[in-house]
Amino acid sequence: MSNRRKQDIPTYYDLPALNTPHWDWRVSAYIFAAGLGGGTQLLAALGELLPRREGQSISRKGRYISLLSALVSAPLLIWDLKTPRRWYNMMRIFRITSPMSFGSYLLTGFGAFSAMTALGQWTADRGSRLGDRLARLAQWPAALFGAGMSCYTGALLSATSNPLWTAAPRLLAARLAASALATGAATLSLGETLSGRRRNSSRLEGIAALATSASLFLSLWSSRLYRRKGVHEAMEEQDIAAREKAALLVGHGVPLACYALARLSGRRSDTLSIIASLSTIAGGYMTRDAMLKGGLRSSRRPRDYFYIAGRGRD
Amino acid sequence: MTNHPRAQGESRSILAGPFDAEAETTAGVRIEPGKNYGFFTDTTLCIGCKACEVACKEWNALPSEEGKLSGHSYDNTGGLGAHTWRHVAFVEKSGPEGVRAPEQQPYQSSWLMMSDVCKHCSPAPCLEACPTGALFRTEFDTVVVQQDICNGCGYCVPACPFGVIDVSADDGKAHKCTLCYDRLRAGQEPACAKACPTDSIQFGEVEELEQRASDRVDGLHRQGVENAYLYGARGSPGATGGLERLNAFFLLTDDPEVYNLPLRPSRPASRAAPSLAAGLATAAGLMAAAAFLFTRGHDHE
Repeated sequence: MSNRRKQDIPTYYDLPALNTPHWDWRVSAYIFAAGLGGGTQLLAALGELLPRREGQSISRKGRYISLLSALVSAPLLIWDLKTPRRWYNMMRIFRITSPMSFGSYLLTGFGAFSAMTALGQWTADRGSRLGDRLARLAQWPAALFGAGMSCYTGALLSATSNPLWTAAPRLLAARLAASALATGAATLSLGETLSGRRRNSSRLEGIAALATSASLFLSLWSSRLYRRKGVHEAMEEQDIAAREKAALLVGHGVPLACYALARLSGRRSDTLSIIASLSTIAGGYMTRDAMLKGGLRSSRRPRDYFYIAGRGRD
Repeated sequence: MTNHPRAQGESRSILAGPFDAEAETTAGVRIEPGKNYGFFTDTTLCIGCKACEVACKEWNALPSEEGKLSGHSYDNTGGLGAHTWRHVAFVEKSGPEGVRAPEQQPYQSSWLMMSDVCKHCSPAPCLEACPTGALFRTEFDTVVVQQDICNGCGYCVPACPFGVIDVSADDGKAHKCTLCYDRLRAGQEPACAKACPTDSIQFGEVEELEQRASDRVDGLHRQGVENAYLYGARGSPGATGGLERLNAFFLLTDDPEVYNLPLRPSRPASRAAPSLAAGLATAAGLMAAAAFLFTRGHDHE
């Protein structure tokens, strides 16, 4: 009975029904850095499955990059606050209903365990057996926190009233997780190529290709869902659509084409591998930025909100 | 204590001082901690005087808006925000084909006015989103931002299903209606309700207001205003999707969207767990596939 065609829903002078957060590129960059760090830490744990020397090469890079990403993402998050000198109030309470709250603890735990893996690795690199044990001991909790880091930002965006972010809560987090693993694998693959470990690089490329394909599939699926839920028009506004298309091309099209080309030619090409990695990393940021900017635009479209909040199907 | 220069020459007040429980006189409400207080805003009584907007700005010392004409009827405020905690919406309706219908129903037939405010939802999405605990539920069952704790993360802004709370560019903190927390503590009725000349804004205990509101709807129906209904009272539109009730609720006579309100808002926090679970499941699935790729790689060696 309450269903109505979207264009027939009245609005109040087309003024936004929701307020829009101040979030800018810093939030996109945070979501990106959190995902990349989470992804590399997960893959660092997987290094255990490989023959010792090869596995250690991946784990070493994974641990250092994870720590680096934690060190980059925390300041980004604080920089985004409108009263940054009170950043520590994030640690004042723990609130399970707020992904912004439990995310702060995820970041803290991730940072702490990543620091332990990196410190262990650093001393192990200088011949310490104890350092190696520390790194391996901290590896699993670090990877668990990394899994959280890879996708909790999807829950953060979904647990709002924003039409675009709430239209597909599960897919949003799934996309971020897939993209986190893709960017993590691409970063490590780049590192292995540059340090001449081509077989490791190829292994990681396999994972990157898989995760990129998953991410592409989930992106197309969520586009369909956005259309069905009537919130797709924000993504079709010219500038947002351009961002989305560029993210699809750079983050998915180019790397998948590179992997396909390398496979067809039957031999490994460092150039193609490096292009694929850099493209995946850049695309990872662009995907998140399009998600964020699309949502900000969506919150200014009252009909999109009214449609998803009561007037549309289900 | 010296008198203010402007007060000199005025006779002293005959009252000894402020009332202990002023709201008993002005609203018939005794304000006691532990009870639930809210607003019932009856839009059929609103005359669009904006006394509530002004009283709110004055009492709470809120900065003025940049003065400009919007062209949207008499509404030059636009909506609620960091510096606007009461907002009067004006909707001019015309009959079919833009011509005023010859017969009009009683009460706000062709000109809707509605004083919007923070709904003090139960549960409150802004409060559930707040990572610092700056937003809290008071002893009067209202929702307030503690200005000395908020760090301006802005997460309450997209969480609010009604576009109420916002972060001020001036001080970098989130602001919204406090239901005059300071006045309630002093036993006084909130400024907007006290200033309202038609009792369109009624302050009181939520349960009592809900009863009064439902009687009012029945009365309006009897008078022929068949489209009168409550928005935000328990079991009505607005109190949906996990929002049990809005402590500030409304009597409306048109679709909620006409007043810039969603028909069925929902509680954002309920989306966090399914989203996180799906993300973790995806990560786990891809990790399992990655582990397979890794082990397959060196078994062949």
